[in-house]
Amino acid sequence: MAEWNAYYHNEDEEEEQEEGEQSGGDYKVTGRDSLVFLVDASKEMFIKGEDGQPSNFDMTMEVVRSVYTSKIISSHRDLVALVFYGTEQSKNPRNSFKHVYVYHDLDEPGAKRVRDVDGLQGDKGAQLAADTMGSGETSLGDALWCCANLYSDIKLRLSHKRLMIFTCRDDPHGDDSTKDRQARTKASDLKETGVVIDLMHMMKPGGFDVSLFFCDIVSPPEDESELGLQLEPCDKLDDLKKRVRAKEQKKRTMSRLNLCLGKGINVAVGMYATAVMTRKPSAIRLYRETNEPVRSKTRTFHTQTGSLLLPSEIKKAQVYGKKQIVMERDEVDTIKRFDDPGLLLMGFKPMEKLKLHHHIRPAVFLYPEEDEVKGSTCLFSALLMKCREKNVFALCRCISRRNYPPRFVALVPQKEEVDHGKVQITPPGFNAIFLPYADDIRTVDAPQCPVASQMQVNKMKEIVSKLRFKYRSDAFENPVVQQHYRNLEALALDMMAPEDTEDLIMPKVEQIDQRLGPLVQEFKDLVYPNGYNPESKPAAKRKTDTGGGAEKKPKMEVSEDELKAHMQNGTLGKLTVPILKEACKQFGIRTTGTKKQELLDALTARLGS
Amino acid sequence: MAGAKSALVLCMDVGFSMSNSAPGEEPPFELAKKVIQKFVQRQVFAETKDELALVLFGTDSTKNPLDQDGQYQNITIHRHLMMPDFELLEEIQNQIHPESQQADWLDALVVCMDLLQRETKGKKYDRLNIVLLTDLNTGASADHLDVIIENLKKDGITLQFFLPFPVEEDEEGGGDADRRGPSHPGMGKGLSREQKNSMDMMKHIMLSLDEEDGLDQIYTFTNAIEQLCMFKRIERRPMSWPCQLTIGSSLSIRIVGYKAVTEEKLKKLWISVDAQTNKREDLKRETVYCLDDDNETEVQKDDTIQGFRYGSDIVPFSKVDQEQMKYTHDGKCFAVLGFTKQSLVHRHQFIGNQVIKIFAPKDDEWPCRPSSGRWHELKMVAIVRYAYDRRSNPQVGAAFPCIKQDYECLLYVQLPFTEDLRQFTFPSLENNKKFTPSDTQLSAVDSLIDSMMLVEENENGEQVDMFKVHQLPNPAFQRHFQCLHHRAVSPGTPLPPMEPWLKAALERPEVISERCQAPLEEMRKTFPLTEVEKKKKVKTSAQLFGKDSEEPDAKKAKGDEEEEEYNLADIAEGSVTSQLTHRIEQLLSNKNTQYYMKSITCIQAFREQSIEQGNADLYNSYLQSLKRSIPNRGLEVFWDLLVQGTISLFTWDCRISLKSFLP
Repeated sequence: MAEWNAYYHNEDEEEEQEEGEQSGGDYKVTGRDSLVFLVDASKEMFIKGEDGQPSNFDMTMEVVRSVYTSKIISSHRDLVALVFYGTEQSKNPRNSFKHVYVYHDLDEPGAKRVRDVDGLQGDKGAQLAADTMGSGETSLGDALWCCANLYSDIKLRLSHKRLMIFTCRDDPHGDDSTKDRQARTKASDLKETGVVIDLMHMMKPGGFDVSLFFCDIVSPPEDESELGLQLEPCDKLDDLKKRVRAKEQKKRTMSRLNLCLGKGINVAVGMYATAVMTRKPSAIRLYRETNEPVRSKTRTFHTQTGSLLLPSEIKKAQVYGKKQIVMERDEVDTIKRFDDPGLLLMGFKPMEKLKLHHHIRPAVFLYPEEDEVKGSTCLFSALLMKCREKNVFALCRCISRRNYPPRFVALVPQKEEVDHGKVQITPPGFNAIFLPYADDIRTVDAPQCPVASQMQVNKMKEIVSKLRFKYRSDAFENPVVQQHYRNLEALALDMMAPEDTEDLIMPKVEQIDQRLGPLVQEFKDLVYPNGYNPESKPAAKRKTDTGGGAEKKPKMEVSEDELKAHMQNGTLGKLTVPILKEACKQFGIRTTGTKKQELLDALTARLGS
Repeated sequence: MAGAKSALVLCMDVGFSMSNSAPGEEPPFELAKKVIQKFVQRQVFAETKDELALVLFGTDSTKNPLDQDGQYQNITIHRHLMMPDFELLEEIQNQIHPESQQADWLDALVVCMDLLQRETKGKKYDRLNIVLLTDLNTGASADHLDVIIENLKKDGITLQFFLPFPVEEDEEGGGDADRRGPSHPGMGKGLSREQKNSMDMMKHIMLSLDEEDGLDQIYTFTNAIEQLCMFKRIERRPMSWPCQLTIGSSLSIRIVGYKAVTEEKLKKLWISVDAQTNKREDLKRETVYCLDDDNETEVQKDDTIQGFRYGSDIVPFSKVDQEQMKYTHDGKCFAVLGFTKQSLVHRHQFIGNQVIKIFAPKDDEWPCRPSSGRWHELKMVAIVRYAYDRRSNPQVGAAFPCIKQDYECLLYVQLPFTEDLRQFTFPSLENNKKFTPSDTQLSAVDSLIDSMMLVEENENGEQVDMFKVHQLPNPAFQRHFQCLHHRAVSPGTPLPPMEPWLKAALERPEVISERCQAPLEEMRKTFPLTEVEKKKKVKTSAQLFGKDSEEPDAKKAKGDEEEEEYNLADIAEGSVTSQLTHRIEQLLSNKNTQYYMKSITCIQAFREQSIEQGNADLYNSYLQSLKRSIPNRGLEVFWDLLVQGTISLFTWDCRISLKSFLP
């Protein structure tokens, strides 16, 4: 049946297509990503900082936990492992390596693993670590070898392999040059099999000297500008988290396209989604008896003969003006086809022509692909520099995939920015902002209202400046998604109740009130006359909403004759959704959808026959 | 305002003078018919609630309620007031022909007014309109002109005229034809006395209805066709969203929000129908659930429960539990979390797919303006918590103050949550000597940008933008409706090519493409670009089937299952064709519809491959030999399938038609 699935799959896809286009985050994944945390468990790691600062080990565990949970939410198919080196005890698949402790094998992270890592945090965690693993001799070579085995034991296809070493010792083997050499050999073996090795070095007294040993272990940075090794060691949790997060996600192109400046001048660029809305994942069906997941198969068959239908036996149709218009399936695709995928430069416009409110979907990021067209990076870079210098954006026609209709995008230049620790915070490249067509802009009549006086304005300004804060785009977690995962976590771990989530997008009312103090009253006195309560009307309305919900619903019934008359005149669409629903019920039509069109179609099908 | 609609009467002259034209020109009749067609088309696809009637005059027969005592002759009500549909379009296409009588256009106007009066009785319309398409070439009696004008005014009926020739406002100097441009067809012979006479009457009517702009409602056929070639843009009435903007616990301001910008989708989805009967009832889709075992044991839907993934764990989580434990909130909300510098909110981090404009409500006597607008001098934006209602998920977003000449509002855009961000790092471009552009290269880019500026100042010092995307109709919708319309009125013919105007609208403006020729040539010289040959890439049949991962496909990546299926036929480039034929033969040895379908897919791939290589011989000869072997191998069923599938498999633009192989 596999083949049939494949065919009928197609159809589902077609109908979801519009959504796919919208979310923009659909990558083609050919294998799994994998990440190994190789953590130093030597005594030095457990030394607490001054003023009760967490130890390096604590910080590392905190980071590992946050990676685990974020993987669970955003990419649960990735494989993660946690390995300690420099331990007293040993635990690894064949127990062939001493002083290497594989805490978590390379696998998808789950609830239990999160708990495990929680258990390693704080004083108790340090105790637990000492009890189970202890600190002992160090052989990074053995540790790397062990990690290499972890990778090779995996039967799945791995698309991206990364290994992060967390340590605060720049010279782990002391004067033992044999061990140094062995580690170097193993590191280069690993790198040869495609593993990228990163160093997450942490502060220790006297500073961390990368050049002593680790410069030979880690993978050279992508751009060969030695940026990676100039990094300062981390001493703050946030920095470490940021550094790990920047490396932990493999960047993947949504698509690779040619940016065409003119005939024969094609620059290869990759399109990346840097902000994709994370939604609550969809549910999966489980068999009640065994809790095992079931697969769903959708088939199309003929109502009369009952036989399964071939794709060629199905056509597509739409109804307009009481007429059903039928097309072949491939014609439906051809209609959407305008040109081959690519970006076509139309021209340039000054930056101020880019309107703030011309926003229809999240932007994508463009970066050159030297591997596709040699010379792309140079031209791209020149274009970027000049656009910034002249303060212009490039207007392009964008066909992002085959059989996608064109959209226009504004390519806005973005300069590279690094933070104090020389970690990149904004990458260099163009942001492609999708522009609306005439159809996407609605006419809104602006209501007229009196002009505010200068006094009122000034008062408002005071309020505004009292409530200033520094916005950071990564400061707000999605309470809906977080709550959902907390619930799952609680169920998965048999906890009594889910952990509390803090709703970060709730206004901190008390703080605001406190900061504003008498300003609110002063402002009200200026703007509102005595006794005016802007809340009065809506508040009253809400009461009726909740209290009298049942009465509010008017009886909605339409006789069959009326419906038929509506159908004749093609005015069925004038009826409201509740009325249509009621009518469907009346005729015993089961509708799956609640969209108006679906209801209309169902009714028309029923009454027309 | 819901249910507001307009009633419109199209009143077309089909009399004999309408078919007169100068040599080489389209007769006014044909032009007028086109105007009507295009107009009705737009109405049908826009699915407005507007109703439409069609009145013809100059017809051989007479059919109207005023037909009495030899009055109102040769005027036919072709269709009464109702929503336009394809039936009407087909009638216009097939039943409206030039006829040989002439009728008084004022009489026709009276019939239209009468029709409107009768058929709109008791119903609510927000606009009544009569559109007259005529060459004014009939002697009209001016007897009741004043009564007619009076009645038009009384009933609030508006008028529009569509003529074969333009009307100039200061025509008192006489209608000497050479003063007008020769570009307008129908002007060749100059105007007849009747036409001049009628023209004066028409102007009189129009100016009495609207003293100032009355004459603006007189159009020419050609102009109208140009303007009507676009399908109507999708219009939606914005819904108001009343709420309160709150700052802290005690300051709240009444506001009302409207969705101002959002990505509009076509209202209708494609439905699947049976290819033979074209009926959707003949198709049934069914979803079954099965265990992931060797037998694919089916289980009933009732025997399944819902669960979620938590990393590697699958957690059963019933709907009821989920509902109880889920995040809940107080509902509708627009609460300020704080204010921040506008520069900290990056344009490229806008998320979601809409922009909401927030105003002070109309009926509010007390201004919320100070809060909404005037802090813009501080270059600050409000960060707010926004929730549409109790059922929807809350968002975090930014409210930008927006000060326009005639209104002030806040623009609300959603901002990302932590989970939404992907912090990718990319190699630096500036610090890399290998890719640093030289001065010559930079100056080449410089002059390219200068030559391609789409915004320029005109002689009056005003900025002119020659490519306004937000005034362009969505080309996908235009094309969609064009094809649907074509299929509806001329079934059985291939889809038409894209309309030239649409094609042109998607290309560089001509001025720009001319101006940038030299700078582009310079760019070509200074920037060497070489496409990297991918040697290692093996062309698999999966790629042939359009699943090339390098070239993104509209269809998303399918399940692993399917991929595997095609990987069976992983084939090295060069031997693709022989491998394919081998595979086809292999598949055909199983006499089963499933395998037939796969063979057909292979044959299609074979054909595409042949076209790509520009060598059709192999394909042709293979197909011929295959055909010869059909009777021997008992593969008639397969051949039938192949031939039936002609249209879906062998697209009409294909050079090699399967038909030529048919017995």
